[in-house]
Amino acid sequence: MTVTPAVEEEEEKKPTGGFPPDETRLGIISAVIAVIITILLPVLPAVIKAVGVIFTLLWGADSVRKTSKYGLGTGVPSIGVLAMGYGIVGAILGTAFASKTGYAAGALGGVLIMGGVGYLSGVMSNSEKFIGMKIPGLERGMMELGLAGSLAMLLQFSIVAGSLNFDVVMDKAISTGIIALLFILSCMAMFHPYNACLGPDERRPRTLMLSVEISGLLCAILGIILVVTAGSMWEVADGVSLVIFGALVWLVFYVKFVKAAMREAYSVVGTGLIKTIE
Amino acid sequence: MDPVLLIIVCVIIGGVLASLGVHLLPVGGAPAAMGTATGIATGTVMLMFGAAMCGLFTASTVATFSNSILLVSLSGAVGSWIMMGVTMLMANIIYVFGTGIVPASGRIDVDPITKESQKEYKTPQCDGHGVPNVSFISGMIGALLGGFGGALIYFALLNYANFEPTTAGMVAMGIFVANAIIAAYNIGGTIEGFHDPKFKRLPKALITCFVISLFCGVLVWLAANIGGLIK
Repeated sequence: MTVTPAVEEEEEKKPTGGFPPDETRLGIISAVIAVIITILLPVLPAVIKAVGVIFTLLWGADSVRKTSKYGLGTGVPSIGVLAMGYGIVGAILGTAFASKTGYAAGALGGVLIMGGVGYLSGVMSNSEKFIGMKIPGLERGMMELGLAGSLAMLLQFSIVAGSLNFDVVMDKAISTGIIALLFILSCMAMFHPYNACLGPDERRPRTLMLSVEISGLLCAILGIILVVTAGSMWEVADGVSLVIFGALVWLVFYVKFVKAAMREAYSVVGTGLIKTIE
Repeated sequence: MDPVLLIIVCVIIGGVLASLGVHLLPVGGAPAAMGTATGIATGTVMLMFGAAMCGLFTASTVATFSNSILLVSLSGAVGSWIMMGVTMLMANIIYVFGTGIVPASGRIDVDPITKESQKEYKTPQCDGHGVPNVSFISGMIGALLGGFGGALIYFALLNYANFEPTTAGMVAMGIFVANAIIAAYNIGGTIEGFHDPKFKRLPKALITCFVISLFCGVLVWLAANIGGLIK
């Protein structure tokens, strides 16, 4: 098992490592980071955008955990898929706003509107007059999922397409079909951690570790896409650095997660293959 | 008709049909995997997702050579119909010939369509098993409505909002899935079909999905309009 990447590990470890901030604080930190990155979007290299993607997906995974803790009745994945369903609509609206206003910050308009729709659906799902799910904090959870889904999708669009111009995004990220990959991997990063870890001994830091790990995998795949579709040397360098960054994040958090799972398990026993009966 | 209205109306009809379709599917969830509940052994979302995807594939294929809204929507319906039919049939074959379980409804004593008695075949402490006739028919109706709705959204996005096929497909799937999940929350786990007592909660989901689809329709129109796709 490798122990080498100690330096790079430190910067990413803070939010999920020893002491993850509480749910509200993590949400605010992730939102602020993602918003700043979105505003500065056109000048940033892909690796910085990838940090934004990791934080937004972490926020989404935390919201999924918070909401599904009470039991949705339909399984944890449903709410992660819902988040990305909203995310696609919000991100496309955001790119339309961004190319209309001429600033990348305009995309935040789409994100905010989707947050509003998420809040509304939360209110309607929770209200006694409509669906009546009676889950505490569902309104906030759905709003956060709308926001996080749209932000994550926007940042990934900008990594793949290089800008938030509506036509460029349509041309490079959506018509090529890459969006399907982004959709399902972002869904995985949001719903898989809690779906895999839930149970009596679920511990938040360990669950969130898994989210970062999947986001790392997503970043590595985004990097490969960037290398393959690159039009210039600059983009190839961007893609290669993203692949390295993603692979590093994935490796570090995979090792951390497996170690944490083994440490916290009652016992880990290798049983070998099933014996055939003579 | 104005493209604004057309887009919004199509998205609303599609979203509401998706919600209605979800209520008609025989969803068994985890208990069905052990043969202790009626329906297919997976969640509502996965089932509707699969049906909607198959519907969108057939609808997008037909949309490449046809401009008829009815033809495209019906082809979507047929796509998800085939998917649900094959899934339920295979589930039943595995239940009956693989594990030796008799399909029987757990919520009603007599099948409302074939008038066959169900009670004797139901294992005590179980919530029915397999996919009985009434659930099969209900699931077929649900897939028909759901696939029709999904393809209708796709057609509206493709031809009235002038999205490209990939964009239209993904956005249609996004809206469809959001509505299907809201409906799934209304069901809350498992449902057998239109004869299930939970089916009576349908109007609440329809209202919610109407509102959500209305917003989604307006947002999609806004995106297409600002993005310069609607001339």
